[in-house]
Parts: sequence; structure tokens; C-alpha cells
Amino acid sequence: MNVALGKSGISWLAALSLLSAGCDMIEYHPYDLDINGKTDVNKENIAEIETVLDGRDGISFAVISDTQRWYDETEDAVASINARGDIDFVLHTGDLSDFGAKLEFELQRDILEKLTVPYVCLLGNHDCVATGKQVFNRVFGDDNFVFKAGNVQFVCVNTNALEFDYSEAVPDLSFLGGAIENSPDDVDKTVVAMHAGPYSEQFNNNIADVFEFYLRRLPGLQFCVYGHGHQLAADDFFDDGVIYYQCPCVKKRVYLHFTIDENGYEYEAVDF
Amino acid sequence: MVLQTCGVVLAGAADTVAVRRWDKRVNWKYDGWERLKPKNVKVQYAGGMGFLSFGAGWEYGRRNQWNSDFFVGFLPKRYSDKLHFTFTVKQTYTPWSIRVCDWLSYEPLTCGLYFTAINGEDFWQREPGKYPNRYYNFSSKVRTSIFLGQSLTFYPDRYEWLRGIGVFYEIGTNELYIVSKATNRTVSMRDILRFSFGVKMQIFKPH
Repeated sequence: MNVALGKSGISWLAALSLLSAGCDMIEYHPYDLDINGKTDVNKENIAEIETVLDGRDGISFAVISDTQRWYDETEDAVASINARGDIDFVLHTGDLSDFGAKLEFELQRDILEKLTVPYVCLLGNHDCVATGKQVFNRVFGDDNFVFKAGNVQFVCVNTNALEFDYSEAVPDLSFLGGAIENSPDDVDKTVVAMHAGPYSEQFNNNIADVFEFYLRRLPGLQFCVYGHGHQLAADDFFDDGVIYYQCPCVKKRVYLHFTIDENGYEYEAVDF
Repeated sequence: MVLQTCGVVLAGAADTVAVRRWDKRVNWKYDGWERLKPKNVKVQYAGGMGFLSFGAGWEYGRRNQWNSDFFVGFLPKRYSDKLHFTFTVKQTYTPWSIRVCDWLSYEPLTCGLYFTAINGEDFWQREPGKYPNRYYNFSSKVRTSIFLGQSLTFYPDRYEWLRGIGVFYEIGTNELYIVSKATNRTVSMRDILRFSFGVKMQIFKPH
């Protein structure tokens, strides 16, 4: 009897000490918004990118995408990018989560935090499932945003129209209009990033050519980069010379590396 | 006649329960419509069922090893976008109860599973028709959780309607987390395991 009591006492103590060790092991619901750890990641990282690269004419950045539930591969991508030392920042073109669950965003953020350079994340369609979009907005940031890396402006636009039922403008043409109007004077090149590319089932294809019309008015449009399709692809969707690069999912163990300088841009697909 | 036969069979079965000196659990059976009366009520904290959940439980088996619960829980706005309610059906198996003294027993193992639904337009059981077939291929509304736990039960003498008060904890996870862990060596057990705590009151002592 005493043995039994002793055991129970130990188990209860063990449980309580584990509890006090971390509140992350208490969860009200997988879709609650009780976020552990860092929030507003994009804002902080964009500030770092804009400060560090201010005045630069050439930049080098990596693109990863669709890392949902591929934590091992995401870890490897981070290690591979860290090992290079010639990357200024990393752009993630969406789908950090598979189920839209809070834990997935936290785990992905914790892996990406191991990057030695700043990173910026876009909203993917999987990130919109259930309360996922609200977790994304808190952990990473806005659906649509613009940032500057040296003399290059990055216009990041939500294109997951299927998720929004016309309740929000997706893609938001007034946001794109604003980006055209308000381009800073020291910006002479633009890269557009999105999750779902034109003519995918997520995109509002009725206005695909209007979208392209807006993009072409951005100063010095270089190219577009997107994810969602999980395959490496480079397409001139509108036969106007604007190339859309589709970054493979991280499962394919490939990331894209772009360099932009006064001579134009170059890209490579890097296996890791 | 049929009912009577059943009664005889059950009584016969009850007689065959091996005597365990250390397990004094007794299944207080009700007759007729009273069988619908819950045998316990519970409050559970966390466990993916909301902030707090309130449940009613029905015990069965020769030593009350089996328990089925229905919980209604809530997730307050403080931890979400707005107030949500959860609805849980839960099955627990408690193989042993070790009577430490007159007023205390220790249940070294509880295990089971539960299904939790959450209300709100953001959650669906089946994908809305706008998606191509099997686009996401899971339900965001219903989670399946499994757990292991332990409990202590106190037996107060004072109130006839209160047969016992149990305190329990559980450690569990859900199917989305299991599939995440199973497909990634870098996802740890700590990442997916969740603690939950509760109080159970065994009520309605028969006259």
C-alpha cells in the first residue's frame, strides 16, 4: 500500500514539474490563438533587411516554399542556406502549415528562427484553414505587404482567392495600385512574390490579365516568384516577358537562389 | 420476462467477479429508466477540449472499469478570435483501482480516446463544395485524441449523494500531431504531448 502511495506521489510530482517546465504542454485547443513564442516576425525581419541592405545595388536571396509538415526537410534547407554565407535574406512563399493548426506555425517559425539571415513569410492557402490565417497574421504578419531590400522592392501579395469567397479582394488590386503609386524613389527594381500563381485553382483567374497589367506598372519589374505547385517551373504566363518562377515544395529538397545586380538577375535551383 | 432473464444473467455474472482485496470498486446498477442517469460529473481543464469542459459520465463494467462521457466546453475569446464551444465524447478505461485506505484509492492507469468538435464557421466536417475533391482531405472541426493518465479518488463519508471525488491528469495528443511526429524525426514527443487536469464527482449513491 505504501509503495502504491509513494508511486502516485512521485507521478503527481513529475506531472506538476513537467507542467511548470513549460506551459506549451497545456493546450486549450489545437486551433486556439494562445501563441507561444515570437510574434510579428515579418515586421522585425523586414526592418533588419531594410537597414542592413540600405544603399546596396545588388542583393542575393533564397526562396523556399510549401514547407508544411516537412519539418525535417525545412531543417535541412535552413542548414544548407546557413552554410552558404552569401544570402542576404530568405523569402518563404507560403504554406507553412498543413492543417492550419497553431502548433505547425510555431514549429515552422522555430526552425526558420535558426536562419542566420532574416526571413519573410507569405500566406499560403493551407495557412488559411480554420483559424490558421489568424495565427499567421499574429506570428508572421499581414496578407499583403511591401518591403525594400537595397534598391529592390518586394511586393508580397495574397493570391489565395479560393479561400476568401469574395469577402476580401484577393488579389487586392488597390494594394497593388498603392504599391505602384508609393514606390520609393530609391527603388528601381521590383520583384513580386505570391503563394498561388496565375491560372492555378486558387487564383482569381477572371482577373489574371488585370493582375498582370498592374504588376507591369511596378517600377523595373524583374520577375515573379511563387509556390503552391510543389514543382520547379519557369513560365511566361502572359507572353509579355515577365517570368513566373515556381519554387518547389521543400520536400523536393530544392530552394531557389536569386541574385539581382546592375546587370539584371540570375537564378539557380539549389539541391540540398 | 426478458428483463428478468437479463437480470438473472447479470447477477450471475456479478457473482463471478474475482475478489480483489485492493480493488473495492462497485458498480452501482440502476434499474429501468434510471440507467440513463449519469453516475458522475466532471470538470476538465485543457486537453484540446477548450479552457474548461463540463461533462457527465456513465460507468459500467463489473468494477466500473469503463466510463463514457459527454462534455461541453468553452474556449474564451481571450484565447481565440471569439467564444467557441466544444463538444466531446470520451471513452476511458481504468483497469485497476488500488484502495490505499478507507477514504482513498489510487488508479495507476487510465487510458482512452475522445472526439472533440468545435463550433464556428471557420471549421468544417466536410470540405465546402468550392474545393476540388479531397483538396485538404481532413476535418478541421473534429479532432481525435488519445491519452494516458492517473487518478486519485477520495471517498467522503459525509454526503450520501457523493460516493467519491477523483482528481486526475492525462497526457495526450491528437491525430494531426501524431501524423506530424510520425513523418518527422525532428518533431519531439514534447512538441506533441499535452497535459490535462480534471475533477470527477461520483454522484447519486443508491438508497
